[in-house]
Amino acid sequence: MQIETALLIGVLFACATYLILQNSFVKILFGFIVLSNAANLVLLSMSGAPDGREAPIAGQGAGPMVDPLPQALILTAIVIGFGVTAYLVVLLYRLFLDQKTTNAAELYADQDTSEHT
Amino acid sequence: MMGPQSYIFERLVRVVFFLVNMVALYLLLRGHNWPGGGFIAGLASASSLILLSLALGVAAMPRILRFDPVRLAAAGLLVAALTGAAPLLAGRPFLEHFHTHLHGVPLLGDVHVGTPLLFDLGVYLLVVGIACKLIFVLAQSTQGLRALVAEEERRYSSPLEQPLEETAGPDDGKERTDAD
Amino acid sequence: MNLAIQPVLLPLLTAVALLFWGRPSPGRRAFTAISAGAQLVVAGFLIHLTYTQPPLVMPMGNWAAPYGIVVVADLLAAIMLGLSSFTALATILYGYCEASPRIEHPLRLPLVQFLVTGINLAFLTGDLFNLFVAFEVMLIASYALLTLEADNWDVKQAFPYLAINLVGSTLFLCGAGFAYRLFGTLNFADIALRARAMSDDPRVTALALLLLVVFGLKAGVFPLYCWLPNSYPILPAPVAGLYSGMLTKVGVYVLLRVLGTVLPHDLAGVHTLLAWLAGATMIFGVLGAISRNFIRGILSYHILSQIGFMVLAIGLFTPFAFAACIFYIIHHIIVKSSLFLVGGTAALLNRTDNLDRMGNLWRQTPLLGVLFLLQALSLAGLPPLSGFWGKYAILVVGLEQREFVLVGLAILASILTLFSMLKIWNAAFWGSSEECEVCVWDWRWLRMSRVVAGMVAVSLAIGLGAEGVFRVANRAAVQVLDQEAYARAVFSVTAKGTPAGP
Repeated sequence: MQIETALLIGVLFACATYLILQNSFVKILFGFIVLSNAANLVLLSMSGAPDGREAPIAGQGAGPMVDPLPQALILTAIVIGFGVTAYLVVLLYRLFLDQKTTNAAELYADQDTSEHT
Repeated sequence: MMGPQSYIFERLVRVVFFLVNMVALYLLLRGHNWPGGGFIAGLASASSLILLSLALGVAAMPRILRFDPVRLAAAGLLVAALTGAAPLLAGRPFLEHFHTHLHGVPLLGDVHVGTPLLFDLGVYLLVVGIACKLIFVLAQSTQGLRALVAEEERRYSSPLEQPLEETAGPDDGKERTDAD
Repeated sequence: MNLAIQPVLLPLLTAVALLFWGRPSPGRRAFTAISAGAQLVVAGFLIHLTYTQPPLVMPMGNWAAPYGIVVVADLLAAIMLGLSSFTALATILYGYCEASPRIEHPLRLPLVQFLVTGINLAFLTGDLFNLFVAFEVMLIASYALLTLEADNWDVKQAFPYLAINLVGSTLFLCGAGFAYRLFGTLNFADIALRARAMSDDPRVTALALLLLVVFGLKAGVFPLYCWLPNSYPILPAPVAGLYSGMLTKVGVYVLLRVLGTVLPHDLAGVHTLLAWLAGATMIFGVLGAISRNFIRGILSYHILSQIGFMVLAIGLFTPFAFAACIFYIIHHIIVKSSLFLVGGTAALLNRTDNLDRMGNLWRQTPLLGVLFLLQALSLAGLPPLSGFWGKYAILVVGLEQREFVLVGLAILASILTLFSMLKIWNAAFWGSSEECEVCVWDWRWLRMSRVVAGMVAVSLAIGLGAEGVFRVANRAAVQVLDQEAYARAVFSVTAKGTPAGP
């Protein structure tokens, strides 16, 4: 189970990196969403192999439980990721309205930041 | 994000709205020891409101809701923060919670209640407000409407700002490049 | 009342109250200023308490460490809290002088308070995951402030800032996960106790390197600084003052905390790497500053160059180097934000901050010139100003450790800093050209300069009373490096849950 999770994490990180390095806004957005999910999966895998263990719910089952802490951490990370993704969506939308493009290469084509008015 | 102009959809949404909110209430109340809680209940309620906006049109939502989602979120944050801060007044640590068992409550029987419920209520309000706000702003803007209604514009935008939507409607034939 | 949580709670409640208040008005401004003043008083009281006592610990929800989350205020955290509330107060007052309530953005003050909440939580937190949460609170508020008043051109610059920080947050999350797997705990004190036995474990070094990447990114260490120099100039002057003072210094603080209090002290390779990266940061930062031709851009690059000095002190890793780093942070936060505010005032007077079109400021407004010169020379490190003592202490440690190349780089960076500060001085203040007008009739500049004068006075006091400030910094450094005393303070708190003795 741990090996498969590790492989999946690797694939997700690779996909996310590939997508973030694209020029299209939509791909960049998807890249960041996949990236945050990959990180959440890393956290999940830190609770160890779940084989034969109970879900961490109070008052249910008598066997050994899965470590609940990483799950609490993931919940927090998901909430934060939700907020940041929403901000990213709105920022990209605003860039599209302002600059009339959804291509990052076009957006930064005329970049000269050494002087500013 | 105008929904399908369908009588069946609209009537169905009106029923589903209440069902979803019942589920949200259930999730909120069981959240202390079982799966559930303020965040997930808030998301359920927010999705019911979003469903409603699909059926009735997002422009109608400010009239139906009668509250400002940002203020709702701020109220939730206030409730949660005050629940956390209240023990400080008694010299106890931040976020300490207290529980009690009530016996023989009419209709419910024995109930286990505590201050975490108040905290969860704050989270619930926060999530409902924020999630609604996010979706409604984007939906209004993509339809070429102003993202903020007049009341919100007074509260959350500076007089120096120009609404983005005036220059860019949804279908004014502007060039779109999505190529890599 | 438990004092340790107040620096987080006060700005949070203020922000919520401001959201309800709605439109900007003089009353709303006065309320914010009073709250910011109260935060400063609380922070000052915390410094007073922690100077003589062991760290103040508050278990959140009354659950004992290591199972509960703790908030720990030691002397370094209290100093940082004092600096953050001082900078926040000064920049808020400066913002009042800059624009009337009629045109103030209603969300600016609440967002500034949310930002301060996140910054203060990062200083106070006693576990790794809560540090992540604090970073996120801070970052989300900073994203919002960055784009709040940006125009169409400027908004572009926010995207790289967001993207890089998102990747940094993801890495931090993974780092927290690895730390939990490795040590079985996220509590700083508990990690410190458990990590000491496994300091030769390569996984600890790997974790330290991962955290180095994350915090180096927040602090703006070479080569991870590219998000900073283009994003800070798009901020309005008061907010830029707060950002330049506090945000990167949170990264430096966390490096101090994690390398000093949490991780084992014998990770020599990591420290050496940090010192050399710091050398590169100093040089590349100052070269970037020379390449820029507008005040905010030059100052933004100087943040990086100065970060190099602080991180160099951390990399040298002796108690005295840590004290020098803390002294440098104290000096730098005040000098840097006041320089941004001076730059904002100069830009208001000349209606631009492009050096080609500025001039005549010294003749028309000598007060502003004096303020700029004091802070600029302090930044470059001329005695007896505060910057000199910080640099002097760092260089002494460098020479003691026979790191002659790094010392040489630091001196070179200082000279180049002086050069680029004089560039601003020559163009904007000393230079005179017929066509550029100085709008002295714009009464706002006088009040803005008064706020800056207050900051300059504090900065001068640090320089002239360097001995006393250094004593405080020294005690803070000793406290940061004393892992056992930290753990003792954290575990001695009685609360619910089995307290795991050290």
